[in-house]
Amino acid sequence: MSSGGSASLPLRLAAMLVLVTFVQVGVISEIPVFGVNADLSPLLVAFVGLLCGSTVGATYGFATGLLVDLLLLQTLGLSSLIFTLVGYFCGRVRELRDPQAALTPLLVGAAAVAASLVGYSLMEFMLGVDAPVSLELLRQIVLVTLVDAIIAVPLWLLVRAWLESALPDDPRRRRRRRRAYTTGGLSPLSRS
Amino acid sequence: MLVLLVVLSLLLLTAYFGESPSGRLHGVQRAFLTVVSPIQNGANKALKPVRDTIGWFGDTLNAKGQRDKLKRENNALRKQLVAEQGEKTSLRQLQALYHLDQLGAGEYHPVTATVVGKSPNIWYSTVTIDAGSNAGVHVDDPVVNGEGLVGKVAQVASDGAYVDLITDSSMGVSARLGKSTATGIVQPKVGEPGDLLLQYLPSTTQPNRGEFVVTSGTVASPDDSLYPPGLLIGQVTSVNEETGFKSVNVRPAVNLQNLDIVQVLTSSAGSRAAGIASLAEQLPAGKGDAGTEAGAEQYASAGGGG
Repeated sequence: MSSGGSASLPLRLAAMLVLVTFVQVGVISEIPVFGVNADLSPLLVAFVGLLCGSTVGATYGFATGLLVDLLLLQTLGLSSLIFTLVGYFCGRVRELRDPQAALTPLLVGAAAVAASLVGYSLMEFMLGVDAPVSLELLRQIVLVTLVDAIIAVPLWLLVRAWLESALPDDPRRRRRRRRAYTTGGLSPLSRS
Repeated sequence: MLVLLVVLSLLLLTAYFGESPSGRLHGVQRAFLTVVSPIQNGANKALKPVRDTIGWFGDTLNAKGQRDKLKRENNALRKQLVAEQGEKTSLRQLQALYHLDQLGAGEYHPVTATVVGKSPNIWYSTVTIDAGSNAGVHVDDPVVNGEGLVGKVAQVASDGAYVDLITDSSMGVSARLGKSTATGIVQPKVGEPGDLLLQYLPSTTQPNRGEFVVTSGTVASPDDSLYPPGLLIGQVTSVNEETGFKSVNVRPAVNLQNLDIVQVLTSSAGSRAAGIASLAEQLPAGKGDAGTEAGAEQYASAGGGG
């Protein structure tokens, strides 16, 4: 791990946040798929948590929520609260389980999107809704989760490729090291 | 760290929810829009080819079905046009008689704007446009496009504005059925972006499927409708029987998923609300019903913080 790599992580995270948010607002939100729009923000927060851990995940979630709320005239603090929790729990998944399965980003991404949409709806109900709410909302939540699940894996590959060199402790590198020791590879100590 | 961020979010949420639209945090949002709107405009132009390319595939797939549907609609509208020519003449005479022409769409100065951003959230239906106070846009100005009513301006910065779409949960529009004088309030149904609900119609109303729903633009009290009369909102898709009132489901006329160019109907000088109020004082009395409906629209719109 290089110190330059760690220092560049906040910059890379910030650049990714701004880029993805503008692409979301300017392009993705205007392309309906199955009648709904994909939402990259919860996926992004989940993947940052999954790659960087709970503290970075929660902080990134807060920043993402704040930017989204400011940019889209939404109730300030609402997205921050939800994305903070999403980032934190995805980070905890990495810290406690460190899952390596190929389907991990898909499952974690879908869970994060579903949790954020349900959390958002609950918060809106708590704050009071003036308009009638249709049961179709449930169908919308399921559809957005499915659409986000479809794009989860490609987005995960992009996010990981963008952050990999700046990560202080890359799970893939750690796994490779572990495999090398267990399959007869020499440890740095025995080599010296 | 988690606790700190959660507490910070809750503080922001509480402060924002408790303050008025002219409050400090809303001001921060407006200032943020002022800063990012040039960037957003640039990004929108840069990303337009990408959006157009992806949109082209979807448009091609939908084109055939739309063509057949439009042919049928065209035939129906042609018949309707002939029938309504006579009614139009009578309406002009009545408007002149009651000075209503002063509040028609001619009173407004359309400002053309491009949609540069859209919310992906199913709870918020807002778009960002590239025209703001420098172009004469004010909060609450109606926003339309060639298909009908799009929404109203929610917040304004110097070179950009947020628009609440008619499907936003904070919206409420005073409306009437095209072929009758029955008026009600059009509200969105959260979770069904392609469906609106025209509520509080008198129980004696006989709405028909396919009937047009337009803004009522009532003009009888100081707290009047924000929208000029006769703007197309959508078409009736089904009728719901309720106790005391009737309500109908309305499919929006505007394709809100694919907004590009819109027009903001700005008022000519000063506050339009003040203009309406002064004119309302000159109108003859006896329009209490319309005033009630307009008040309900204001209530519905203000209720959601819009």
